[in-house]
This record gives sequence, C-alpha cells and structure tokens, in this order.
Amino acid sequence: MLKKNKVLFIGWDAADWKIIDKLMANGLMPAMKRIVDNGVRGQLATLDPPLSPMLWTSMATGVRPFDHGVLGFVEHDGIGGVRPVSSHSRKVKAIWNMLTMEGYKSNIVGWWPSNPVENINGCMVSNLFQQEKKGKDIVGPNEWDLPEGTIYPERIVEHLKELRVHPHEITGNLIMPFVPQAVELDKKEDKRLAVIQKILAHATSIHAACTELMETEEWDFTAVYHDAIDHFCHAFMKYYPPRLEGMDEEGFDLFKNVVNGAYVFHDMMLERQLQMIDDETTVIICSDHGFHSDHLRPTHVPEVPSGPAIEHAPFGIFVAMGPGIKKGEQIYGASILDVTPTLLTLFDLPIGRDMHGKPLTDMYETPKEVRYIDSWEKVDKFGGELILKSVSNNESNEAALQQLVDLGYINDMNVEGDTENGEANYLKSIISENNFYLAKSYANGGCYEEALEILLEIENRDKPDFRILLELVGCAVKTRRFALADEYIRFIRKGNLMEENYVNVLEAKVQLGLNEPDKAMRLLKDAVQNFPDSIDVLLDFGRLLNTICEYEYAIGIFQRVVDLDPGNSYSLHGLGVAALRTEKYEEALGYFLDAIENVYYYPFAHFHLGETFAIMKNYPAAIESFEVVAAIAPQMPKTYRWLLDLSEIVEDKTRTERYRKIVDHYDLGEKIVVTGLPGKNLDYSLQKLKEKGIEIGGDINDLFGDTVDVLNANWFADLGQKVNYVPLRLLGSLPPKYSYRILFVLDQPEEVMKHLLENEWPGKELFNSVLMEEIQKQERRARSWLSQQPNLDIFYLKSPEGFDDELIERYLS
Amino acid sequence: MKEAPKKRAITLNGKHFEVPPGGSLGLLALGNVGVRAWKQAKKDWDKQNSNVEEK
Repeated sequence: MLKKNKVLFIGWDAADWKIIDKLMANGLMPAMKRIVDNGVRGQLATLDPPLSPMLWTSMATGVRPFDHGVLGFVEHDGIGGVRPVSSHSRKVKAIWNMLTMEGYKSNIVGWWPSNPVENINGCMVSNLFQQEKKGKDIVGPNEWDLPEGTIYPERIVEHLKELRVHPHEITGNLIMPFVPQAVELDKKEDKRLAVIQKILAHATSIHAACTELMETEEWDFTAVYHDAIDHFCHAFMKYYPPRLEGMDEEGFDLFKNVVNGAYVFHDMMLERQLQMIDDETTVIICSDHGFHSDHLRPTHVPEVPSGPAIEHAPFGIFVAMGPGIKKGEQIYGASILDVTPTLLTLFDLPIGRDMHGKPLTDMYETPKEVRYIDSWEKVDKFGGELILKSVSNNESNEAALQQLVDLGYINDMNVEGDTENGEANYLKSIISENNFYLAKSYANGGCYEEALEILLEIENRDKPDFRILLELVGCAVKTRRFALADEYIRFIRKGNLMEENYVNVLEAKVQLGLNEPDKAMRLLKDAVQNFPDSIDVLLDFGRLLNTICEYEYAIGIFQRVVDLDPGNSYSLHGLGVAALRTEKYEEALGYFLDAIENVYYYPFAHFHLGETFAIMKNYPAAIESFEVVAAIAPQMPKTYRWLLDLSEIVEDKTRTERYRKIVDHYDLGEKIVVTGLPGKNLDYSLQKLKEKGIEIGGDINDLFGDTVDVLNANWFADLGQKVNYVPLRLLGSLPPKYSYRILFVLDQPEEVMKHLLENEWPGKELFNSVLMEEIQKQERRARSWLSQQPNLDIFYLKSPEGFDDELIERYLS
Repeated sequence: MKEAPKKRAITLNGKHFEVPPGGSLGLLALGNVGVRAWKQAKKDWDKQNSNVEEK
C-alpha cells in the first residue's frame, strides 16, 4: 500500500535543543529551523537507564525495556558466548512490523539494534552496515565484506554495499570543517582525528543508504538512525566552549568546534532529505536523550559499564512538520514511549493498549480520532521475521563488541583473562549487568517490587557494586522495606563502599521512612554542606523540608536547583508544593504547570495541580488534572476519591457513576480521621463536626493519646465510628489495613502552646521552651509519616471556617 | 609528476556541485548521489594519474 502522506522519521542519538537553538539562532542549521518554524517542537523525556539500544527499541515499540527485552549493549548468544545486542532480544513488534501487517512499505536504516534484519514489506539495513572491523582489526576498503543479516532484500545488497564510506577514505580536507588545523596534526599520532574519521564515515554510509532507498524504492515510511552526534559528543564535548576547568588550552583550541560541526553536518544531511520529499510528507526528528553541554557536564566519567551515560541529559528532542500538523508551536510532556503511538496515528492505525506511551495528539491542527486495540502482538498477520535464526558471524560480533569497549559502554573481556574461566566470568558479569538494567527499567516504570527482587538476586556481597546497592536501597525505600534498606546502608558503611556524604543522603531517605525526620534532616544538612551543587542532594533536602513544613527554607533550596538547572521539573514541583501549602495558589499553579511542561509523566505534579484547582474552585480543571493522574498512575486510589467528589460537585452523572464504581472497587474499608495539634482550631473543628451531627469516635479530650493502648491490635477498630479523632502522636500507629482520609487541622505552634497553658495547665508561664519543642516535633513527625503513606488522602484545614466549604463537607461524608 | 585531476561535477535539483577527488563535506551530505560521484571522481583521478605514471 502506498500512502498519500508519507512519513520520514529521523533519529539523531543524543541531539539536544541547547545546542540546536544556538546554532539555529546563528543561521547554522537552516534545515532544522525550517522544520521548527513550520511544525511543532518539544522536549522528549528519556527513560532510565538512558542507554541507546534500550531507548531506541522503546521508541520503535512504545513499551518499556522490561517488556521489549532489549536490555543493554550486549546479550547472551545462547551458546555460552556474548554478542552485541541484536534483534533476537526484542520480544515485541516494532513499528515496521505493524506497518507491514497493514500493507505499508517501510525503509528502515541503521536502527540500533536491528541486526539481523527482518523480511518486512520494504527494505531494512541493519546497524552493522557501516561496521568496518573484522574481529579487532580494521579491514581495508578492498576487503570490506558485509556481515550476514545486514540487508533485506538480497537484491539491494550489492548497490548499497558500494555506497559505504570507509574511515580510511575520510581525508584531511573532510575533517577540516571540524578541526581547522587537522592537516597540521598527524592522524596516526593523534587518535582523536581517527575518531572523527570513523564517526564521519559511519554517518555518511548510513545517510547514503537511506537516501538511496528513499530515491529508488517505493515507501510509506522511512526511518533512519544516526549515532554520530552521540559519539561526537562523548569524544569531544569536553572541548566544547566554555573551556572546562583543567582542560588544556591546546586541546580546547583544536577541538572546540567539533560538536558544532557535527550538528551542522547533520543539518546538511537533513537538507538533502528534505529535498527528496514533497509537501505531503510528514517529517519527524527525535533524539533518545540529550547531552550535557554546559556547567552540568560531569567532571569525570565513572569507570563502570555504561559509565559514559552520565553525560546524557534527561531530555531529547522532538520536532514534527507535515500536513495537518500545527506550525511554530510547542508540544509538552512528550516521552520516547509516545513515538510509536504517534506514528500509528499518522497512519490512522490503532494503538495497542499494552503500549506504555500515548499519542501526541496535541501536534495536530484538528483533533485526531485515536483508535485502540488490545495488543499488536495478538494481530494475526505477517509482520516480518528475522532473516537469520541466529547471529553466527563471530568476527562481526567481535568487531561490534570492540566498538562498545572503545566507547566505554562495556568492559573488555581481556581484563577477565583469556581462560575458559575468564570467559565464563565475563558472561556472568554481562548477564548480571543486563539484569541490573532490567531492574532499573522496572524501577523507572514504578514497578519497585519487581526491581527489588532482581536486585536482591544479582547483588553479590563478595563483589559489591555500588550502583546495584544504590538502586537496591532506593527500591527498598520505595517498597517501604526500611529495615532491609537500613541493613544495606550498614553494609555500605562497613565496607566503606561509597563516599560518606552519599551514604548520608541514602540514609536520610531511610530515616524519613522510619519516621525519624530530625535524623534525616541532620544527615541531609551535612550532605548539602558538602555537596552544595548536587541537584539530587538538594532535591532530597527540599522535599524533606516541605514534608516538615519548613517551606521558606525549602523554597530557598529548590530555587538553588533552578539556578543550577533552569526548568528542573522536580524542583518546580517542590516550589509548587511549598506555595500550595502556604496558600499561594496562583503561584503554585504556575510551578506545577511548568513542572509538567518538561516532565509530563509526573503523577504527583498533576495530582497537586488538581488539588490546587479544586481549592480554587476551578472544578473542571481539577477533574482534568486528576484524570491525567488516573491515566498515567492508575494505581493511586486517592485520585479516584477526588474525582468522585469533584464529579458530584459539578453534577456530572456519568463521571460520578464511573468513579463511584472505581472507589467501591478500591474500598479497603476507608476511615476518616480528624487530627491536628491540640489547639483552639482543633477544639473548634471537633465542636463544629458535632454540630453537624457527625458522630466522632475517640476521646476528643485526649490531646496527646495518653488513654490509648496502641499495643492493643484493635485500638483503632474499637473507636467504632466512621469519623474518628486520633491524636497527632498516634498517627504512625494507624493500622495499615485501612485506607484513610485525613483531615489535618492546622494551627500555629505558638497558639497551641498558649491554648494548652491556658486550658490544661492554668497558672503556668506563657512560654515553655520544652513544650514548644515537643509541639513542633510532634507536627514534624506526623507530617513526615503522612508523606510516606501510599493509602492516605490528606486535606489540610487551615481555618475552621473552612467547614462551610462544600469540598470539606464531601470530604467528610 | 602527477597531473591536476580533471574536475567532475554533478547537478542536483538544479544546483551545481563540484566533485573534487578528495571529497567535500557538502558532497557527503548529498548521500547516495554525492558518495557515488565522489567515488567515481577518486577512481578517475587514480586512473588518470596511473596512466600518467605509466607514460
């Protein structure tokens, strides 16, 4: 089938707007500028781990790595060896399979991984096409064979083969646009020039194959993948201006233009591709992640597998131009998981409900109807099969493995020894490494239990790997297994396996989980002092400060993150929470919207946005926000409770019915708890509830929980009512088997102390520092505990007059 | 002594491109057409010069 509107998809690994925008502003990327001006642009959120074969497979399938099966740079070959990751690892259909099923013709060039190729409807050229090594040696242009499984169909092999450019063919004058002094340097002496030769030759080979297929074959969809920007950046970003501290001046002067040169060359290739299509063709350019080019450039690359990935930035690029697509606009919240669903909508094909991404329908001028099917895996049509059952070319495998070693992505097998034992250990380490990436992928997708299970399996105390331990503690905290997390922290400390400040940050999270906010605070304060510019440490500290109501302090910390990394979504969310809790609602809205603009898959930002809209009585907007939460994080029951309340308020019967069903389904025996500091506001609130005829369980005169025996397993059930008063001190003892709606009545600690001294202990002095400290400590601990609970819905009531609010009435109903 | 090579050129979409035997970045960016023309120019240049040397 030949579609009227073709789609040209171009993948530029690691392309980043920060550099593109500068070059476009200087007129150095005119082709890209034309697309941006006549189409939509946005940031494309990457996944963790940000490793290209995993990411490009997610891009081509719409699912996360734990579902698609490509788990790193290498894979087990099934016969006791290791080979570069191949199409054999992919367990699900890629976009080219779906298009084949529907009769569309595709050209797929250079996709990583795509060897061996598949007999799809169209042509495929694999990622080994441009490989010039045989084993560990470079073969000359005359002995240069193609590895098996590189091209489909056979009839195009010979003329594509001739279009490859060998690194030895790249002469000095071709390198000069990147390094003007290239001719003065000896290529043999300076390996950096050889790196440029190689990357340039590879990019040219891929581009030549792609343009040949675009010109000579019929197609509906052409997709090409270029790794050159990523490789140029890993090798030369350290020379990019401004000069990094410690960078020698000579190296800087020689190579400072290489990265810009790489982008300009890609724009030149793009120009040619744009000349080959008509106005009815849609063009999309994406990158899988960005690349730090400013003060966020890491000062050193860790010497661990995939260590260079530390240089990757979390957002790649997305730009689309074509018929029916908006012009000159931005789109927000795109992720690499959205690429395949979006491509399917361009072909009016249904999206699999089992895909993890969503179509970027905001890019269309008029609303697009989106259809769904359960899964493309269940469609009983031919979508193409691998043309080789196994990859048997050991020399090409070895060559590709060597390239990965050269790039720093995997360890060299020789360091393990050449013996049989060495090979077995190497294989074991590779499998463990891939399982680590699998665990990270699960954790990134919010499946912490699955991640933890794998991490516990691969963790080896005889050969500790700090990356695994770090992830393990993180997942243990997320799954609330604090004792386990604590055990590993002690192990890390004992073995001196990590820098102490880093362990302190980890332990702070555990202490917070153990409801010890003061300890957590101390640890984080120390860490911030020692790492004043660490974004992760600052974010953790800011979150903790928000949790314990130190909003002014939190704002300062989050602002510091924004100064270091403008647009950091997590920091903007933190600022939003601080604004929301201090009743600066307009400000909070701004922060949450900004946070979502960059990271759309951020359920807490949407949730707090919904909460803010609800408080501002903009109920339709609140419903919209909570519905986004329900779509991207369906496992948060409290979202549905909000949706039910809001739907009732706006008298939307359909929604009310829908959400009541869901709330009933989630109903774990929901209890309503009223709590707060024992001050005037709490007294007044409890009185007000009684006036409304609400029966309240618990002793409302027990301000500190002295009359309750929490060792009695039924203490809460014995309170007996749907609405129960629980003193603040006892919140942490609420039985986990229920879900709770908590009405937290706020008060000023000074007012509470005054109230207590006047009513409970008349005659005492008006300020008692010990009592004041105790009041503040109770509130901090309660807030800390509340922030850790998954099944709580909390409403903070600042003033008892709020009882007349319709929202509160529904909350307590 | 080697002779200066005879210059080749291609026209693509109405635009004229010189094809030096040493290649150019612009030529590589043309993809299939540019690479073919460049490889041919190199061959011609090698042939031309080997003929000169034989003479």
